[in-house]
Amino acid sequence: MYSIAVQDLHKTYNGSLEPTLKGLSFAFPTGKIVGLLGPNGAGKTTTISILCGLVKAGKGSVQVLGIPQEANYRERIKRALGVVPQQIALFPQLTAFENLEYFGNLYGFKGPALKTQILALLEQFGLEKAAHKETGKFSGGMKRRTNIIAAILHRPRLLILDEPTAGVDVQSRSMILQFLRDYNRSEGVSILYTSHLLEEAQHLCEDVVIMDDGRQVVQGNPAALINALPACRNLEDVFLHFTGSKLRD
Amino acid sequence: MLRLFATIRKEYRLLFRDKMGLGLLFLMPVVLITVMALIQDTPFKDYQELKFDILTVDNDHGRLGRYIREGLDHSGQFRIVDSLQGQPVTQEQAKALVNRGDYKISIIIPQGATGAIVSNANKITNDLSRRMGLPFMAPVRLRNDSLNVVIYFDPAAKKAFKSAIHQALDNFLTQVETDLLIERIQQQLKRKGAAQQDSLDIQLKAIGLQEQSTVPGGGVDVISNSVQHNVPAWSIFAMFFIVIPIAGNMIREREDGSLLRMKLIPGSYLAILAGKMFFFVCICVVQFYLMMLVGIYLLPLLALPKLEMGHQYLPTLIIAACIGLAATAYGILIGTLFKTPNQALNFGAISIVILSAIGGIWIPLEVMPAHMQQIGRLSPLSWGLDAINNIYLRNGGMGQVWKQIGLLLGFAGTLLAIAGAVEKRRMN
Repeated sequence: MYSIAVQDLHKTYNGSLEPTLKGLSFAFPTGKIVGLLGPNGAGKTTTISILCGLVKAGKGSVQVLGIPQEANYRERIKRALGVVPQQIALFPQLTAFENLEYFGNLYGFKGPALKTQILALLEQFGLEKAAHKETGKFSGGMKRRTNIIAAILHRPRLLILDEPTAGVDVQSRSMILQFLRDYNRSEGVSILYTSHLLEEAQHLCEDVVIMDDGRQVVQGNPAALINALPACRNLEDVFLHFTGSKLRD
Repeated sequence: MLRLFATIRKEYRLLFRDKMGLGLLFLMPVVLITVMALIQDTPFKDYQELKFDILTVDNDHGRLGRYIREGLDHSGQFRIVDSLQGQPVTQEQAKALVNRGDYKISIIIPQGATGAIVSNANKITNDLSRRMGLPFMAPVRLRNDSLNVVIYFDPAAKKAFKSAIHQALDNFLTQVETDLLIERIQQQLKRKGAAQQDSLDIQLKAIGLQEQSTVPGGGVDVISNSVQHNVPAWSIFAMFFIVIPIAGNMIREREDGSLLRMKLIPGSYLAILAGKMFFFVCICVVQFYLMMLVGIYLLPLLALPKLEMGHQYLPTLIIAACIGLAATAYGILIGTLFKTPNQALNFGAISIVILSAIGGIWIPLEVMPAHMQQIGRLSPLSWGLDAINNIYLRNGGMGQVWKQIGLLLGFAGTLLAIAGAVEKRRMN
């Protein structure tokens, strides 16, 4: 079974002449960590928004965890999906515990069970001492870690992370990446991850989808892709090989 | 319900963590209504309640001058000033002083004014005597020059003020002429041997004016003064300023991704939105009653009248909630339409000022030009103020405010529908 199966996906936003997605196709089986990579303007954010049901797709088909994108897709997919947005989607005046309690309540969790789960996750991410500190006073790494906890409170089957390690220190990044590996292995959760840190993607992802100009340009295991191209020593070389060196806006 | 209550608690925590913002949210409206009630107190007073210095130049030195001086003095509205530094005021001096704005008004009683009135009264009496066959004829002037009492107004004086003064002086002149005429007729009748005590003057006062309350059931009869207008009016204005924190809150949630996160959580976003709206409507209602308390307890300490809230407490609460709902919906629309806090702040603040100006918050709708009154009646602030006035001034109940409640609810519903449509369009 595929976690995500996208076939010939097109999308043109209202009022725009230029399509954002021009026949994107890719698929990956459940339980994998997959990197969705591409230069700025490649269409990664639009793809994620369509997968989450936040933006309506144009032509083409989308299936997430076996749920086809048709009527009521968004409501059906929400329970199974955890999303870590690129922004720190937390209320800075609230403490980490209050933030997580609020999002837990929105998922329908409450009482001692929710409290226990929040405290356990905070401890797992090394934030137990900062549980009752306002997140606005957190370091970048602490915010990123809390941001991830908020997305996994409901134990999703598919976790989508949009640049989860942008702007964090080495220690926090290492912890986040290790957590994602462990979480994928222990819970069998599929992970779709976007980043501009290609070295990170090379080490974390079992598969990468490189897209450019609204299309998939290549998909495969990072090591296999590197080996297939003799001139490439790492994923960054592969990326530049397929997307070129032209600057993007 | 959990989503609703969790959102209310979240909004409560967010607001109460920002102590400065919280203080300003309640303190600034209190300052606003206090200042507005104080500075608008004088323009709201009837002219009869105010006292003016009136420069009087009496070139007549006769009965008319005395009558006018006594009449003005007796009205309690004017202080007669007829000499400056021990010297009688001259016409030229009066004109210059009024033109300079040192005095608001001056009256010049012309020489021979009394003689002219007496002559006129004699003329009428002679005519009556001739018709009744009485022999005595009183002396009359042969010249027929018309004399005028001259009034000078400060060039900056308002039209309404001039009109009120004109009317008052006209009444005095009519009164003097009437008194003299009656006196002459009485003298003629005495010569004919009529009774000493006649009832002419009594008959002239047979019909008077009496103002009665229109309030249903003869309940409270509140005079519309600066407090009765300013406290509800500026409270509604301040309540509408809730659009700034709401719009800012929504834009912030959209920018920092928490809106995205909330939308990705199973269940309708409407429950979260309802929680947010409920919280802000409650804040508006608390603001409203806080400002009413200011009108009742604080403003009287500043020598202003006490606010009267009527006797319909439940309709007042419903109206306050409906105004809060309309303001909250407006904030949500602005927060949805605009992309940055700056855009929302500028549009939100200026649009509220415009809606309040045309809606009769600054000055009552009744004194605006007819076409502006029609435009003003489209403002939700005017619906709110109308409803409050119906309760406070007209002692109305639900029957008198249901129309405004309907308008405010319709306004809120329409704005939320537009916000929903805009958000839906964004998805495409």
